[in-house]
Order: sequence, then structure tokens, then C-alpha cells
Amino acid sequence: MSRALARALLQLYPMAYRRRYGEEMRALLDQTPVRAMTLADLLRGALAAHLRPAAAALSPADRVRASASAVLACWVAFAAAGFGFYKTTEGARFAAIGTTHPLLGDAHLAVQALAIGASGAVVLGALPLIAAALAQARRQPRLRMVLMLPILAVLVFAVLTALLVLVAHSQGSDHPNTVGGGAFIVWGLAGLGCGALCVAASRRALFSVSLGPPRLLIALLCSSLVSAAMIAIALAGAVYAIALQTDASNLAATPNGPLGVLSTGSSLIGQLGVMVLAGTLAAITTRRGWRVAGA
Amino acid sequence: MTSLAEGPKHGYAITLDVEQMTGVRLGPGTLYGALARLEAGGLIEALPAEDRRRPYRLTPTGTAALEGQLRALQQVVRSGLDRLRVVGA
Repeated sequence: MSRALARALLQLYPMAYRRRYGEEMRALLDQTPVRAMTLADLLRGALAAHLRPAAAALSPADRVRASASAVLACWVAFAAAGFGFYKTTEGARFAAIGTTHPLLGDAHLAVQALAIGASGAVVLGALPLIAAALAQARRQPRLRMVLMLPILAVLVFAVLTALLVLVAHSQGSDHPNTVGGGAFIVWGLAGLGCGALCVAASRRALFSVSLGPPRLLIALLCSSLVSAAMIAIALAGAVYAIALQTDASNLAATPNGPLGVLSTGSSLIGQLGVMVLAGTLAAITTRRGWRVAGA
Repeated sequence: MTSLAEGPKHGYAITLDVEQMTGVRLGPGTLYGALARLEAGGLIEALPAEDRRRPYRLTPTGTAALEGQLRALQQVVRSGLDRLRVVGA
């Protein structure tokens, strides 16, 4: 029983750590008596491995995998904030102010163009990895299940989105202001859950699939493009927010979203904060990936 | 690292050796945390796996570092014992 629990506790270690030391640790557990102190030691070790990951736990290929996976996680967080930015700045009033104030219009256009480019880079980088994962999933039922998870999550989220739209239409308008705040919060939480599940499953798949250097290099190249695009989008977004504050302060002060808790200006600052953080983290992790690839 | 001074050892052998030397049995979390840090620091290196176990050995850098540490400790031990003898005399 204790031995089974000890083996289960190994699952708490970071994936890369398990790939590197998991089998050895299991072999050690099979040879030594497992006591309460052993379980406590495993728990402490797992916490330390998460807080201070040793570079040795990751092979160069795994470090590139970890870098690509982290950039994807940053991109999901960035996309969520970007969607908020899009919803905050959509509508006739924002379109009109964009035509009368060229800086606002240009910055908004730049955000959209860069977002399309970054999405393309994400797809370009992910496609070779998905193709490799699908090819190997034929022989690995567990990997098949891992790949099914994000598809199911996206389907559930799509159904919830359709329901939200139906609720909005049933209230006589397609504007989210008429939708109950509760439904919007549930939808938002479901979106976050879906994003987290997609990131976790793709990370799991990425570490389960054997990938050659060319595919990893493509992933790293695309990660660089995505990171650069994220920072550029955040900059364009900041220009937009500043221009809105100075050129259209009345519009910036209007309540935003279905709950109307924050003003448009405050909402934009919050969204930009997430964007800057995600873009910076993505750039840092991509740089680490290149350092390993170049070594 | 002292355990690896006499040659490559895998995790279980290190645990037994450390227990024999110090009376302390290292848990798997502590042992592999230390091995990971030493490996990341280039002080030890892993050899090809034998069955499910992987032996580790000191690198030349690790050997030099261990020797330096042991000499420093030796100096401390010698000084401490000398002082105790002076006090006891």
C-alpha cells in the first residue's frame, strides 16, 4: 500500500523530471522499505523540483519542448486577454472614433493584423507536432486519449458559447450587455478551463511524442515569431489605450462589459497587463530554448 | 559526492553507502534532488542505464571540487582537534 502510494507520489514531480529520473526512483523504491518518512521525503522533493527545476532534468530536446509548450501557454493567456481587447473595442462608437483619429484606427488595425500573423505562426509551428503526435497515436492508446481531450474541451466550450449567444438573442439583442452576468462568468470560467486543458494536454502530448530536430526547430522558430508578435501587439494595444485616453476620454470612461464594473480604459489597462506579462514570459522562454538549441 | 569517490554507483548503492558512512538513510526525493543539482552543476555525470538503474560518476570538475571541500574540512577538523587538546591539557 505504502509502495503504491509512493509510486503515485512520483506523479507529482514535473514531467521532465519524471522522464529523467522516474524509472530510477521507481527502481529505488522497489529496493528500499517505504515508510512515512519516505512519503514525506517524496512530497518535499516534488515541491523542490517544481520550485527549483534542475537543468539536468531536461535533455536539450526536452528543454526545447518545454520552451514551445510554455510559449503556447503564454499564447493562450495572451489570446484570452486579446479577445477581451477585441470585445472592449468593438462597436460603432469605436469604429467611428477610429476614422476621426488616425492613430486609434492604425493602432487597432495593427493589433488585428499582428494577431492574424501570430495565429498563423501558432498553427504553422503546431502542425508538424500535431502530425507527429497523430502518427504515433495509432500505436499508443494513451496518447490518443490525450489528443482527444483538447478537442472535447473545445467542443464543450463551443456549445457553451452557442448557448450564451442564444441567451443573448432571447433577450432581444445580441449585445452582451443584456446577458446575465452569471452566464457570462460561467462562460468565461469555462473558457479559462478549456484553455488550461488544451495547454496541459498539448504539453503532455509534446513530451510523449518523439520528435526529430527539424520539427523542434520549426516549433522554436514559430515560438520566436509568436513571442515577437505578442510584444508588438501589446505595444500597438498600449498605443491604442493611450490614444483613447487622450483623444476620446469620454469613451474611455464609459462602463465596459456585461457587468459594467470597470471603465473601458481600466479594462484595456488590465488586458494589456496580461498581454505584456504573457509576451515577456514567452520571449524569455524562447530565448532559453534558442540558447539550448545553439549549444 | 564522497560516495562516488571510489567509483560509479547507482541510486540504491549510494543510499546504502551514505547510510554506512553517516547513519542517515537518504529518501528518494532528497537523493535524486541532490543528483539532479550535481548533474546540472557538471560535478557528476550519468553513465548508460543498467536495467532500470543508472550509475553516476564524478566528473573531473567534481573530483577537484570534492578534493577541495575535503581538504578544507580536514583543515577545520585538524584545527578543532588541536584546540580541544589545548583546552584539555
